[in-house]
Amino acid sequence: MISLVQNELMKLLGKRRFMIIAAIIVVLLSLFTYAQSRQSEAVKERLGDVDWRTELQQRIVDWQNRLSSAGQWKDQLQIQIQQYQYYLDHDVNPSEPGAPTFIRGFVENSAELFLPLLVMIVAVDLVSSERSMGTIKLLLTRPVSRFKVLLSKYIALILSVSLIIFLFGLLSFLISAVMFGNQGWSAPVLTGFSVQGGELNIAGVRLVSQSRYILQQFGLAWFISLVVGTLSFMLSILMRSSAAGMGTMLACLISGAILSSMVSSWESAKYLFMVNLGLMDYMSGSAPPVEGMTLGFSLAVLAVWMLGALAVSFTVFMRKDIY
Amino acid sequence: MHSLKVRFIAVFAAVACLLWLLGLGWAVKDYLIGADSVPGLPVAGDEPQPVLKAYKIVALGDSLTRGTGDSEGKGYAGYVGDLLKQDGMDVSLVNLGIKGLTSAQMTEQLKQKEVHRQIGQADIVLMTIGGNDLFDGGQTLSNLTPENLASLGDGFLANLKSVLTAVRAANGRAVVYVLGLYDPFRDLESGDRTSSAVRSWNYKMTEVLSGYSNTVFVPTYDLFQQNTADYLFTDHFHPNEKGYRLMAGRLAALITGGGGRP
Repeated sequence: MISLVQNELMKLLGKRRFMIIAAIIVVLLSLFTYAQSRQSEAVKERLGDVDWRTELQQRIVDWQNRLSSAGQWKDQLQIQIQQYQYYLDHDVNPSEPGAPTFIRGFVENSAELFLPLLVMIVAVDLVSSERSMGTIKLLLTRPVSRFKVLLSKYIALILSVSLIIFLFGLLSFLISAVMFGNQGWSAPVLTGFSVQGGELNIAGVRLVSQSRYILQQFGLAWFISLVVGTLSFMLSILMRSSAAGMGTMLACLISGAILSSMVSSWESAKYLFMVNLGLMDYMSGSAPPVEGMTLGFSLAVLAVWMLGALAVSFTVFMRKDIY
Repeated sequence: MHSLKVRFIAVFAAVACLLWLLGLGWAVKDYLIGADSVPGLPVAGDEPQPVLKAYKIVALGDSLTRGTGDSEGKGYAGYVGDLLKQDGMDVSLVNLGIKGLTSAQMTEQLKQKEVHRQIGQADIVLMTIGGNDLFDGGQTLSNLTPENLASLGDGFLANLKSVLTAVRAANGRAVVYVLGLYDPFRDLESGDRTSSAVRSWNYKMTEVLSGYSNTVFVPTYDLFQQNTADYLFTDHFHPNEKGYRLMAGRLAALITGGGGRP
């Protein structure tokens, strides 16, 4: 079994997919860190050399002014303003300068779309490429059960997802530490905000250290990526063409991003997996797409979809005629 | 590909996998089951005011302070900052203007701790207030009776007093410049009556301000008296860039002319 997994990993490494993924991460990170440093320069230019309280107060007022023209984002903005006001009232800097703060924001923004996309690069042709290249016959003529063959592929996928998230964390640490300095790991973060009936609920708010917050973020990001990876894995079994699987998965992810902002009145949409990918929002305390969704609910929905995809994958793969 | 290398990567990936599982489990524990202990949250204290090199300007007020109608979005406060920088001063400008703010809302805003602290650091406080009280969302235009104006005015003046008292309580030394009102409706049919209402409000504001030290009333009525339309934005209510520059020029002259230099 172990040698089967190693065999699969070797194939993946041979395709140099991880190099491509690392290159993508590096390019994007350079863009984002540069944009971020430009932004803080612009703030400095506008306000002069000021402390963070002044900057935060200015930002709150700027957002208050945007409220009247915010349209459908009004509630979100209102909640964000209240949250920042809470930070200000409790003397906690929401964006302590340094690498950890950047990583925190970057993971939060990439967990829903960017990381799953990277995972798809690996997952989407795990089986279909073997079919299109014809190597699957060689694989299945070995004296191992089909179940074990597929299981080894799936374990290789789990390992790859872990590796990608690690790569992502390592690279974002290295680049942002160079740009912003490596300090602020123990800086406090306020968490536990929740939204009830469009109002910010501060009953469960607590302080955690930034390092703990980031590790938990990575845990959730890993889970999101694994779910998307598993679904792509299923598609690579169901569809002969990798491009078709990629397209389908991409459509799902993008529709999830769009749906999340417009399903607030369509209650049953909350059982779709793509609406539940925003696990990070529960940590930061922004309003969920559908009123009443919680972290537990989203995790459960995602887990059910994942298990379903696994069941379909194994049933189809074990019964399918390979020719 | 050496199998040793692959084995190493596999083990490494497995360790990473465990790490992320740990993170996931921890997140689930914290956010689903509840965090172990909730340490007391710090509350913003009265820290010693940092010594600022820069000359600090805090602008308070309504859409005029915010800069509504200005194509660059700076408003008079932004242009004052620009003019002072051209003079070689090191200026730090904090603009706390909020569109549609009334004097009553301003008294609320001043109760916020951080706003209080910002004013405490200021060398100069700029302020526009009263326009929304008088305009009353457009209601006043259809009800220009002396009684209505008087009742609006009484409420406004009472709020203005508590605003100035709060500013003075936060900062005893800063010079406070309060900009007067102008009449954007001069050209309308009821222009005579709106103008007289604005003039009488300005007069009452001056009277109130005279009760406070280092507090300067800066008229704007005259700036918009001639060719009003040239200096107003397309909404015929807010100034445009030219209008804001006029206001800023007057303020900057007052500030550099000894009115506020430390």
